[in-house]
Order: sequence, then structure tokens, then C-alpha cells
Amino acid sequence: MFNNIYIEEQVAAHPRTRAICKRFPQATQISCERYGEVFNPKSQDFRLQKRRPSLILAHKHDGRVLETPEGYGIGGTKNYYFSHMLNCLYDCRYCFLQGMYRSANYVLYVNYEDFTRDIDTVLEQSNNEPCWFFSGYDCDSLVLEPVSGFAEHFLPLFAERPAAHIELRTKSTQIRSLLKQPPVPNAVIAFSFTPAEIHAVLEHKVPTVERRIEAMQKLQHAGWPVGLRFDPMIYHPDYQQQYSRLFAQVFKPLDSSRLHSVSLGPFRLPRSYFKNIVRLYPDEALFAGNFTETAGMISYPESLEREMADFCTGELLKYVPESTLFPCGLAA
Amino acid sequence: MINIVTALPAEARPLRDHFKLHDKQQNTPFPLYRNDDMALIVAGPGKVAAAAATAVLAGAVPASTKSAWLNIGIAGHAHHAIGSAFIAHRITDQANGNRWYPPQTLEQSLPTENLYTVDLPEDNYPEDTVYDMEASGFYAVACRFSSSELVQCLKIISDNRAQPAKAVTAKLCSRLVADRLADIEQLVNALSGLAKEYNRWHAPHPELAQLAGRWHFSVSQQHQLQQLGRRWQALAAGESLWLEQLQNKNSATGVLEYLRQHLDNLAGNA
Repeated sequence: MFNNIYIEEQVAAHPRTRAICKRFPQATQISCERYGEVFNPKSQDFRLQKRRPSLILAHKHDGRVLETPEGYGIGGTKNYYFSHMLNCLYDCRYCFLQGMYRSANYVLYVNYEDFTRDIDTVLEQSNNEPCWFFSGYDCDSLVLEPVSGFAEHFLPLFAERPAAHIELRTKSTQIRSLLKQPPVPNAVIAFSFTPAEIHAVLEHKVPTVERRIEAMQKLQHAGWPVGLRFDPMIYHPDYQQQYSRLFAQVFKPLDSSRLHSVSLGPFRLPRSYFKNIVRLYPDEALFAGNFTETAGMISYPESLEREMADFCTGELLKYVPESTLFPCGLAA
Repeated sequence: MINIVTALPAEARPLRDHFKLHDKQQNTPFPLYRNDDMALIVAGPGKVAAAAATAVLAGAVPASTKSAWLNIGIAGHAHHAIGSAFIAHRITDQANGNRWYPPQTLEQSLPTENLYTVDLPEDNYPEDTVYDMEASGFYAVACRFSSSELVQCLKIISDNRAQPAKAVTAKLCSRLVADRLADIEQLVNALSGLAKEYNRWHAPHPELAQLAGRWHFSVSQQHQLQQLGRRWQALAAGESLWLEQLQNKNSATGVLEYLRQHLDNLAGNA
């Protein structure tokens, strides 16, 4: 899986580092002082590195728990995100990470205990008001689970903190560690989907829609709160048929009444990220479409974005009540 | 295109013979040899010479596409066997402590190692690392002209504690490189292949030059034309951009407008 593992000197002796290195005895271990030496230099090409990314084990010094951007949430008023990892094993062409980072290597912060302490600080400051913590912002929450043990570590901690809610957002089917433990009522396992036609051309290495539905079904059956994320919505001339088919396919095997939440989000990228991605993938048809720029964000033209959101909202309301549906980042 | 930088003529000789680099360039400050796909420059020992020669070579090869870069040379290590070869996965300039981590994106069979670039020959090999005198100068400069995934250093062990550097002759140096030609060729092919792939991704539409020759495009319009060419390749790959409807356009503005409209229609989400 990894041919090279870069290890920050500070975490070289960390038990999590040792355990991960033990899993990959063939990997070359390369010591570095700070992970930024490997991850941040200019003159790197994300697309070339994506052919064979390395793992970087690092210590997250600060900024571990941050407030989410406005409009990001599933019903809570206090929303935070934290990233135990940067970058993703999958290769979704629409993903903003390609435009955000110069390197495609995976950074895994192994100091989970510091994240926990910061989460506790946020909780203390919120006077027991419910807080939401989103973990799948800069990475997929579960895809590296067998290596990172992220969910295995954090879910029991959230089980002990009922005021804290966590969303694990994923396209992965790595649910073994979840099925091994009792469901945590304040944890939502949220699965992202685009229609199968879009998945086939844009979501490289991502499990099929069917396999993800199957994973959701198993989790729901085991009592885990699960959620659906249709974010970003990707345009295609046949998008109405594609999304209608997807919704029918997804909701059929699931118990809609027990779905925690469904969210819908438009395709939007900060201008600089969009430019970087186009530079990386000039041959990608997705970015050759018509886009507009509003306040530094690139998106589909407003009328199209609205049309897609209205259509998908209408379709989703056939399956779930309005109280379960959260349009994220859509203009009012 | 791949550009090779060596320090010594004795390192370059087997490479020149193997890759048929017979065409010696005139009037260059460093000996420079090339064929259609490869250029080789002989820098002389030391990181400053390596940096200078790398810059000279970058100026001598086409800048319109990205080249791969490879520094090949002999090096020392406390105990690695004479003749063993390594790719550098970390380069440290011992004089100033600067470090670089050449991305290891290639599937290749050679092992990788830490590499220290020193200003004076190192006879004691105090650290468990390969010692050379050029890599930091080469790497820092080559990365200014290419993406770091395309820039690598290959070091062949010529001396160790049992067989010190003073025993290294020009003949031995050439033999050590010659004995590693199979590995070098594999690495050259892998790096060149990666550079070709990169350049294929970023190649402008082949008919853009034809359009630019027919109408007068301002600098700003040339940028717009390039963007439209990119969109064309993404949306209508393989189709000619030389549309019949363009023939009656009187100006570059008309050409750009028509192409933009045509592409918006093709994109289908206007």
C-alpha cells in the first residue's frame, strides 16, 4: 500500500507510529524534521504524485479543532471540524483537495490524544450546548481505518461525551471496526454519493454505489445512525434521470425513517483551487463546462445551480421529511 | 527529454557510449553532449559546479515542455558495498542544513537512501548515509525547471571504510557506472516516460498555431485562445478545431467568440 513512509522526528517513538510502521515492514522509512518539508515545497505536481503517494506520519501542533464555514452543518448551531488526515486514498476529480495541496501524499497526524483534549476544551466552553464535530473535511473519515484506527479510537470517546456529536463522512466501505463495537448514538456515519454514471468517470478508486449502499445497510441494521450526502451535485445533461435513479436506488434498501440526515451541496470551489485543478487536469471535461465566479467562488451558473438544487430537493422530499434534509452552501 | 548531470568525465563516458551521445555542443562552458531524447553535461566536482552546469543545461534544451533530470555519480558510504546503487530519497546540504525530499513516484527496483552533499571529500563516513559532493546543487536548481517528481539522483558507491576514496581511479569510476547501465537505463526510461506523460497532459491543441497564424491575436487574446484550446481538447478530443464557420471571421475577436459559443453549447450547461 505504501512504499515510503515519512516520519516526523517528534512522532518517531509514538506508539501509533510504531504500530503503523509495523504494518508496512517493506516500506522505506524516511525521517524528516517537520512534515511540511515533504508536503509543502513548490515544484510538486499533485497529479504525478497521485500515481504513487507516500504516507507521512506527523504531529498536529495547533489548529486542531476549527469552526466550520458558514452554511456547513446538519441542524446544530455549534459546528466544528477536525482533520486527523490530509488527502484521500480516492481520486475524485471534483475534489477540492487537489487544488488545495501541492502534494498528493497522505499526512496522518498521530497525536489523537491532543485532538481529544481540544474537543473537550470546545465542549467546556460551550457550556454543555450540543456541538457538532465533522471529521471528513480534509480526508475521507474511514478509508484508511485499518491503518489509522481513527474511528476505533474516537468513537468510544464520543460515546462518553453525549453533548458532542460527530459526523464521519466517507465513500469507503471500511466499516469493520464500527460493526465490532456498539453503535454510538451521537455519531453519524454519512456516505457521499454521486450518480453511478458520474462515479464511473469522476470517482476513481471509490467503491461502487452498490457497495456503499450495502455498507450503509449493514450499519443501519447494526443500529448506527447513518446519513446521506449528495455533495457536490454534478451536472450532466441527463442529471435529472441520473439523480432520480440514484435516489431510488439508495433509499430502497434503507429505512428512511431512521436516516439521521440527508444533505445536498452544490459544486463550488474557491477560484485559486479551481485554477490549480484545471492546471493539473486540463484534459478533464468536468472543468471545461460553463462556470461563473461569485465572490471568489467558482460554481455552475446560478440558474443551473438553483435548478439542480430544486429538482434534487423535490426528489429527496419524496423519501424523507423536510426536517431531515439539509441544503449545504446553497443560496437561499 | 531527459537531462543528465555528472561531475566527472569518467562518469559520463560510459553513458555517452551507451546512449550514443556523440554530438558534442560547441561554445558551452561545460562539456555538453546530446542526442534527440537526451542531453548530458559534465559539471566538474562540487555542488556549485553542479548547480551552474544544471542551469546551463536548462538553458540549452527546449523550455516549452518539462524535462526529466537525473544526477548520476559516484559516492561514498561507511559500509555499503562498492558498486551498489541508490536513489536519493532525502538530500541534505551539510554546509547549510537545507534538505530536499525527491518524491518517490516511480516504480523502480533500486533501493533508496539518505544522501549528504558535502563540500570536501568525506573519508570517515560518520553518519549512516551516502556522501556525495553534487546532489544538493543539482537538485535545488533542477527543481526550478521541472517538477520535483521528474528530478532524481542516482548514486553508485565507489568508496567505503574498507576501500577509501583515494583508491578511486577514473577507470574504476567508469567501470562502476558501466556496471549499472541496466539500472540506469531502466530509470531513464521510467523518468522519461513520466515526463512524456506530463507533457502529453499539458500539450496545447495542435491547431492553435494554425489559427494564430491566420488571424492576429493580441497577447490577451492568445491566452483566451489557449484556454479555449484546452476546453476544446477536454470536450471535443480528436476533433478538428479548424471549423468551416471560422473561415468567414474577419478578426480574432470573431474567432474567439465563435469558439466560445461553440464550446458552451458542447458543454451543455450554459
